[in-house]
Amino acid sequence: MHNQALLSRSGLAVCLLTMMTAACGTSAEPPKVAEQIIVRERGAADAAGPSTGGSQDLVSLGEDVFQTCKGCHSLDADGRSSAGPNLYGVMGRKAGSHEGYSYSDALAASDITWDEASLDGFIADPQGYIPGSEMVVGALRDDERRKAVIAYLAAQGE
Amino acid sequence: MNDLTPEKTENAKKERSKLAKWSRRGFIGAGVLAGGGLLIGIGVRPGNPVGSLSSKVAGGDGEQLVNSWVKIDLNNVVTAIVPHCEMGQGAHSVLAQMLADELDADWANVRVMQAPADGSYVVTDATRLFLAPFTLNAADWIEPTWNGLFTQVSRMAEVLITGGSSSIRTTGQNSMRVAGAAARKMLVGAAAEKWGVPTAEITTKDSVLFHKASGNSAKYSELATAAAEQPMDHTPTLKTPDQFRLMGKSKARTDIPAKINGTAEFGIDAVPEGLELSYAATVRPPVPGTKVVSMDASRAKTMKGVLQILNMENFVAVVADSYWQAQQAMNTVQIEWSQSASPIKTMDDQYAAFAAVLDDAGEAGGEEVAGKGDAKAALSNASQTIEAEYKAPYLAHSPMEPLNCTAHVADGKCDVWASTQVPLMARSGVAEALNISAEDVTMHQTYLGGAFGRRLGVDEVSMAARVARATGYPVKVIWSREEDTQKALYRCADMARMRAGLDEDGKLDAFDHVFTQRHDPAQACVPAIYNIANTSVRHAPADLHLPFQAWRSVDHSQQGFFIESFIDEAAHAAGADPLDFRLAMLKGSARHVAVLEKVAEMSDWRGTRAEGHAKGVAIVEAFGTIAAEVVEIDMSSGKPKLVNVWAVCDAGYVMNPNGFKNQIEGGIIFGLTAAMYGELELEDGAIVQSNFHDYKMLRMDEVPHIEVAIINSGDVPIGGAGEPGLPPVAPAFTNAIFAASGKRIRTLPVAKQFA
Repeated sequence: MHNQALLSRSGLAVCLLTMMTAACGTSAEPPKVAEQIIVRERGAADAAGPSTGGSQDLVSLGEDVFQTCKGCHSLDADGRSSAGPNLYGVMGRKAGSHEGYSYSDALAASDITWDEASLDGFIADPQGYIPGSEMVVGALRDDERRKAVIAYLAAQGE
Repeated sequence: MNDLTPEKTENAKKERSKLAKWSRRGFIGAGVLAGGGLLIGIGVRPGNPVGSLSSKVAGGDGEQLVNSWVKIDLNNVVTAIVPHCEMGQGAHSVLAQMLADELDADWANVRVMQAPADGSYVVTDATRLFLAPFTLNAADWIEPTWNGLFTQVSRMAEVLITGGSSSIRTTGQNSMRVAGAAARKMLVGAAAEKWGVPTAEITTKDSVLFHKASGNSAKYSELATAAAEQPMDHTPTLKTPDQFRLMGKSKARTDIPAKINGTAEFGIDAVPEGLELSYAATVRPPVPGTKVVSMDASRAKTMKGVLQILNMENFVAVVADSYWQAQQAMNTVQIEWSQSASPIKTMDDQYAAFAAVLDDAGEAGGEEVAGKGDAKAALSNASQTIEAEYKAPYLAHSPMEPLNCTAHVADGKCDVWASTQVPLMARSGVAEALNISAEDVTMHQTYLGGAFGRRLGVDEVSMAARVARATGYPVKVIWSREEDTQKALYRCADMARMRAGLDEDGKLDAFDHVFTQRHDPAQACVPAIYNIANTSVRHAPADLHLPFQAWRSVDHSQQGFFIESFIDEAAHAAGADPLDFRLAMLKGSARHVAVLEKVAEMSDWRGTRAEGHAKGVAIVEAFGTIAAEVVEIDMSSGKPKLVNVWAVCDAGYVMNPNGFKNQIEGGIIFGLTAAMYGELELEDGAIVQSNFHDYKMLRMDEVPHIEVAIINSGDVPIGGAGEPGLPPVAPAFTNAIFAASGKRIRTLPVAKQFA
């Protein structure tokens, strides 16, 4: 009897009960798996095979190196950016010009057109090359890896 | 279960694995700790109070409800078993401080352990706090009839919850302190019996019992087992503030060493012992409520490390040997989603829907939340009226630790490793998703890398359980930052219309407020702190396009902005100083006046402003704490630059001043981030923002100097810390912008209005 009166005054209780109801769902049927593609069992050989060892050409090495860049940069031709600007066709593009991406003032005002030399300088030390750039991680100090990733970038959108 | 102690010794590990197997019955059944020692719990079920945790009680029907424990082992280590999670707010440590103080325990040998996700640990008081006013009096709290009711409600709602700025003021005040004092009394009783002396002659200090006259002394551990046989006082006398040794002191947090040396385990670190883990990335529908129509995983199938691709109807998952491989493959899956029935495609649509509801409500419609006098008549008789419309956007929680959950389903049982604010609800969610009993779901709690309300949801835990069941092996699911920003639950958007009437003396005589969103706390929309003769507060409910989830300070986050901005408008309309205008309306409440006077003094409110600088003030009472803040900005560049924030808080009594200040500072920065940048926009019904580049946080160089002062006004129920710092900061900031520029900010966020 206290129960009803108390509950009606209670924002939290109502809220919590709502949360409970939400957690319970509306259907008695548990959700199903609509489609299950089993590529392989755990421990079985990888369908994609091991990564190519031995001598790699520069572009293919660049593709490997670029895996770490993909956390922020997309290379998809659709042009969508994530944390960093989309890099499809970056070679020959004016710095800070990719549509829809909000660049730092420093980059937007940099007056650079990306070529091999400027990409090399920037990727080696983004903050040193364009002070105020918001690229705070991902510098490649290794000359060969940097050269490879530039070759890979240049090969996109060709 | 996670043993959240700073030391990760071999012994601690052994103990953890042993504790992990304890069922509630076994736990109570132990009565006396295996190998000796004392366990105390507070029973709260009517007609079946836990008198003493002897084997008699343990042999009962297993229905005793227990919501807090203290353990004293044979190494004289006191462990506080707390029913709240640690998400960076420091509550674990302060709860232990409260228990240890009442127990007169040696602080150097106090540990904290998080209670398992078991119905026995429902946070009764979290419910009770919002059901009826209560006093600090332990006798009241322990009264069985009340508690039976509250426990019932708690159990129904599965309130093993950390939220509402409640840990210290509910569990701490009413469970930890009582358990500590009761345990001390039992130890004293055991010593008196052993030494044949009156209990009154026994003193305690640093986990040691003394009898001065006989020269006897004993460590708690020596008498812990005997103490378990002593009767337990349900209403032990608690210390008064002049007797506090640990409470009210800035003791260092027990969780910090492990967080500095890297041994602290967060959900994302969880690796089930002895099990090989696979990883999954997921994608949910871009528009809430839609489903997978078809998926094309042809490219993902050929990618390195990929194990499985799952279409789960309301999401798609890729399972792989590593998270990186799973996410990369996930990114290549092409999914066609069903069409959303929601008519809302953009934020303009959402605000138009709010406006339509407010138009319908008009000047008197909607559900009356609070009413006093005759606002309608007072408004029509006022010598001056003002009105304004305010808007607040949807906001994401963006906790630092990415959303994640590890699950393993085997033999009809499910183990879950998760950083969650609601382990019991999560357990039920998993049971529901897998169609198994909740008893067959074991939650392994870890530290939370920030939450702010985001980890009150159970969807992710259920998703992980479903993926684990489909694969048959343990899987850790990690949601990318983009997924968490775009496909989660949100602080609601809202719109409010307010009207004020001033009499010929410029006094605020009438206030009318109508808005569309009301969640929690129910009274956040009422400017109850002010003495206004005629008030009308109305709720006209409108549908939300994005699902709601409590966000730091919940309704206060938008209502603080609406109300305190509009009060500022009224002050300017009256030609009054905004701080004096508020003070005049707070007369009769000494606590509010003191807080506001103090912040005026700290911020030199009545002094001259530096060239180009301006100050704004706001005061909000939320979660039992009164907080007044002054924000100083520099507008000389034409854009507002944050310079200083002064905050004064009266939470009645602050248990750990440093921890409290940290929380208030955190609330201020969180609130300023939202005020400056926080906004989720919609395009075709989907969220546009995706990651920190377009959902910006206040950067270190943008954070103002912050100063927090505490007023311990004493004899009132103590207030919270996690949320109260937030609500006043947005209006204090925008009120400063008005003072500087004459530009009234009625829509957040601020930054883009000065771009």
